Amino acid sequence: MSSDRLIASEASLSKKRKSSSVAARPSESATGEGSSSRASASTLSLSSSSSSPKPSSSSTTLPYKVLPANPLEHSFARARELEDNKRRRTASNNSSSSTVNSRHIGDENSNSKMSIDPQKAFFPTTNSASSSTGIGLGRAGPRTGDTLKTVSLNGMKGSAPVVRRTDVQGRQPVKKLVIKNFTVTPELPKDYELERWKVLQQAIHAIQESKPVTSSLEELYRTCENLCHQKYGDTLYKKLSAEVETHIHKVVERLLNSNLDQDTILEAVHTAWADHCRQLIMIRSIFLYLDRTFVLQTQGVSSIWDMGLDLWRRLVMNQQEIRTKVLAGILRLIDKDRGGDIISQPLILSLLRMLTDINLYASVFETPFLQNSRLYYHVEGETNVHRFTVPEYLRYAQQRLVEETNRFEGYLDKSTRGGLISAVEGELLERWTDMLLQKGFESVMVAHSLQDLRLWHDLLTRVNGLEKLSIHFGNYVKKTGKALVIDPSRDDQMVEGLLKFKQEVDEVVSNCFQNSELFLNVLKECFESFINTRQNKPAELVAKYLDLRLRSGNKDLTDEELESTLDRVLILFRYIQGKDVFEAFYKRDLAKRLLLNKSASFDAEKSMLSKLKAECGAGFTTKLEGMFKDMDISKDIMVNFRASKMYNKMGNLDLHVNVLTQGNWPTYPPAEANIPDQISQCQEVFKEFYLSKHKGRRLMWQNSLGHSVVKAHFPSGTKELQLSLFQAIILLLFNDVDESHLSYKEIKQLSNIDPKELDRTLQSLACGKYRVLVKHPKSKDVSETDEFSFNKDFTASLTRIKINAIQLKETQEENASTNERIFQDRQFQVDAAIVRIMKTRKQLSHTLLMSELFEQLKFSIKPTDLKKRIESLIDRDYLERDKNDQSLYKYVA
Amino acid sequence: MKVKVKRWHTVAIWQWDMEDSTDLCGICHGPFDSCCPDCRIPGDNCPLLWGKCTHCFHLHCINKWIETNDSEGTCPMDRQIFEAAT
Repeated sequence: MSSDRLIASEASLSKKRKSSSVAARPSESATGEGSSSRASASTLSLSSSSSSPKPSSSSTTLPYKVLPANPLEHSFARARELEDNKRRRTASNNSSSSTVNSRHIGDENSNSKMSIDPQKAFFPTTNSASSSTGIGLGRAGPRTGDTLKTVSLNGMKGSAPVVRRTDVQGRQPVKKLVIKNFTVTPELPKDYELERWKVLQQAIHAIQESKPVTSSLEELYRTCENLCHQKYGDTLYKKLSAEVETHIHKVVERLLNSNLDQDTILEAVHTAWADHCRQLIMIRSIFLYLDRTFVLQTQGVSSIWDMGLDLWRRLVMNQQEIRTKVLAGILRLIDKDRGGDIISQPLILSLLRMLTDINLYASVFETPFLQNSRLYYHVEGETNVHRFTVPEYLRYAQQRLVEETNRFEGYLDKSTRGGLISAVEGELLERWTDMLLQKGFESVMVAHSLQDLRLWHDLLTRVNGLEKLSIHFGNYVKKTGKALVIDPSRDDQMVEGLLKFKQEVDEVVSNCFQNSELFLNVLKECFESFINTRQNKPAELVAKYLDLRLRSGNKDLTDEELESTLDRVLILFRYIQGKDVFEAFYKRDLAKRLLLNKSASFDAEKSMLSKLKAECGAGFTTKLEGMFKDMDISKDIMVNFRASKMYNKMGNLDLHVNVLTQGNWPTYPPAEANIPDQISQCQEVFKEFYLSKHKGRRLMWQNSLGHSVVKAHFPSGTKELQLSLFQAIILLLFNDVDESHLSYKEIKQLSNIDPKELDRTLQSLACGKYRVLVKHPKSKDVSETDEFSFNKDFTASLTRIKINAIQLKETQEENASTNERIFQDRQFQVDAAIVRIMKTRKQLSHTLLMSELFEQLKFSIKPTDLKKRIESLIDRDYLERDKNDQSLYKYVA
Repeated sequence: MKVKVKRWHTVAIWQWDMEDSTDLCGICHGPFDSCCPDCRIPGDNCPLLWGKCTHCFHLHCINKWIETNDSEGTCPMDRQIFEAAT
């Protein structure tokens, strides 16, 4: 090897590294070192040094301060060295051209000086450092002066020859490193690719024709691998896809030519598709290497599998005839399935999977399918809605929805779910919601069929029909409730009926309508509306219903039952606007229960009271609580009275007095009566005692509310009679007259009882169930000409007989007076409302005032009554009429 | 044949002992029958007080009035020094 060659190879080495055409001439190589930026830097520094070799002058021209370790000095140093090298090399070129002494680079022991451009040895190691310093003015890399002495060639060759330059002057002979070129690369036979492809092609054909593959798969795989190694991946891929394509063409032709109808084509396509997939898997396995290398590394090439699917889509399914037939076939199959025929689920599943796999499901299948489904149920819904009863139809719709949902388990793609289900819901339910509700909701409610109602709710939830359902539900509640409330002949059962009705609808709401806010509100509104369609009466009846429940003698309810009844009644009470009516009647009944000792349970009374308090506030129950308080105080007084000395004056009469605070109790008309002397004396004793305890008061006897126990001796035996005070007073009259009769007038005169009360009392004694007196002549009603006598023949199986039930009954007068009382109380409310309105408005026309009043007042009132109140307020100088306009009222401040 | 009363349960209603018990308290304008605005239950806890001037008020009402500076211890009805009748 000549030195020329060495240098050339050296140059080629450097060329490889620097990719810049550094000429073999060493003189130029110095300036061309490093990366281009560095090269320009060195050029700059070198040119400056060459033009003016004196470093001092150069350094003064530079705009930088020259520090001791100035990199610039390095470049000067380097430049000098380069000069040296140049000289040395040219010398060695001249001197040692004859000494061809090829040596291995790795031969370290040789002390021969290798002719290596120090620059080249130098730069590989310092390259990074110096290039990072940019122009060379920045930070200096390693101290180049030192490193120059030992230069490693590590990065260049893989072996690690250390070139030692022992003498800077380069007087020693230079040894040359010779690098040999490769021997000739082995060449492939020219038809190698064709040959190999043929093998592969054969295999592909065998697979496509379902014949055994002659070559081993291992071999085929290797073949493919080798071809890929030889960079035939591209052509291989193209050939392969062409091969697949031609095969698919054949398949398509076969499909088209075999003249298949809709059903058989499904089978044919299904089989072809299955075959195609199987083949594709096999082919992919063989061409796995191609798939893993060429396909992965090349952009815009899809994997063999995708390519196969793509071809299938393009060639088979885009074939108009096949596609139409297949689609129509699938749709027909699904229709058959809906119709109840048994179809091959795997077939349809496979076909739909195929469509999904080749990305045609959404674009080609879904829309026609949904349209078809819509049409199907449009027709079916229309026939069935007329054919079935409403509950039947609902069950049918439910069934259909379940079936359609199951279709997703069976073969449909999940992505269609929303569309299909909403299509079915739309056709079967939404379209008919109004009609179904109108036709069949009420009857379901009447039948109280919870199952059907739940179905209603479930189905209408799907189509946002709950609002409509709630409206119909509300209408039904209103209608039924109003029927219960409005009929006066059924007042007896009104509360019972309402409670039962409430329980029923509650059950519906909680069991079927999921207790949703919507329905609860509707329920509340409807109850409020219908229960108040009839003024006052519901409130009165609710109070009376409670009285019946709380009265003694009601043994059919346990405490818990009673409690729950009270709760339920309270809910009705909540809906009632006329709370004042309720209070008035409840108070009257409570008074009777307390005073006549007819209360079933004190606990129940208290519990009801606390419920009312919770419901309406403390103000509502103050008076009722006062009544209980009076009862307690009276008990204490009686205890004290019995303990006092005065009690000795009482004889053997058991006297008990309930002292009432007037304001707490209902007002009672005074009921005069001549009380027998003995009892009257006892009462006076008590009065004396009471007034001694409570100064500044007076007591008034209220005879109508008392009761007594009387022992009566009949020939048949002694009986204990429980009587009202009036009844007792009358009976006592007969003690004095022995056998003879007393006329009505005599009794009236002696007892001094109010005629109406007297009539009732005599009737209860002589015409009731237990006849203690005999009336002459016998008849049902008492008249002024009647005469009465003791009934000697009185018999009764019981020893204790209650005849005073009459007291518990509400008389018409009582009812009227209670209503009157309510009306009076309401007048104050009306007055207050009028004044309130007028005070803010200052002046208002009659009609406007009326409308505002109707808005403010919780109870209904006749306009004439309002007019009266306005008149009254004008009289009392709260208002005045405008002088010019009679219908205009002004507030008088 | 005789009847004999064993038990006699009667009812009495108490009122303040005055001419017209439906009269109103001159201070709170509430009936004497019911209590003053601060009390809930009429009775000995909310009694009435007669003055020597014969005017009558709820005890709590007249006390409140007398305690104010403006009252100067007078009866609100006749502006004479209010003294309770014994």
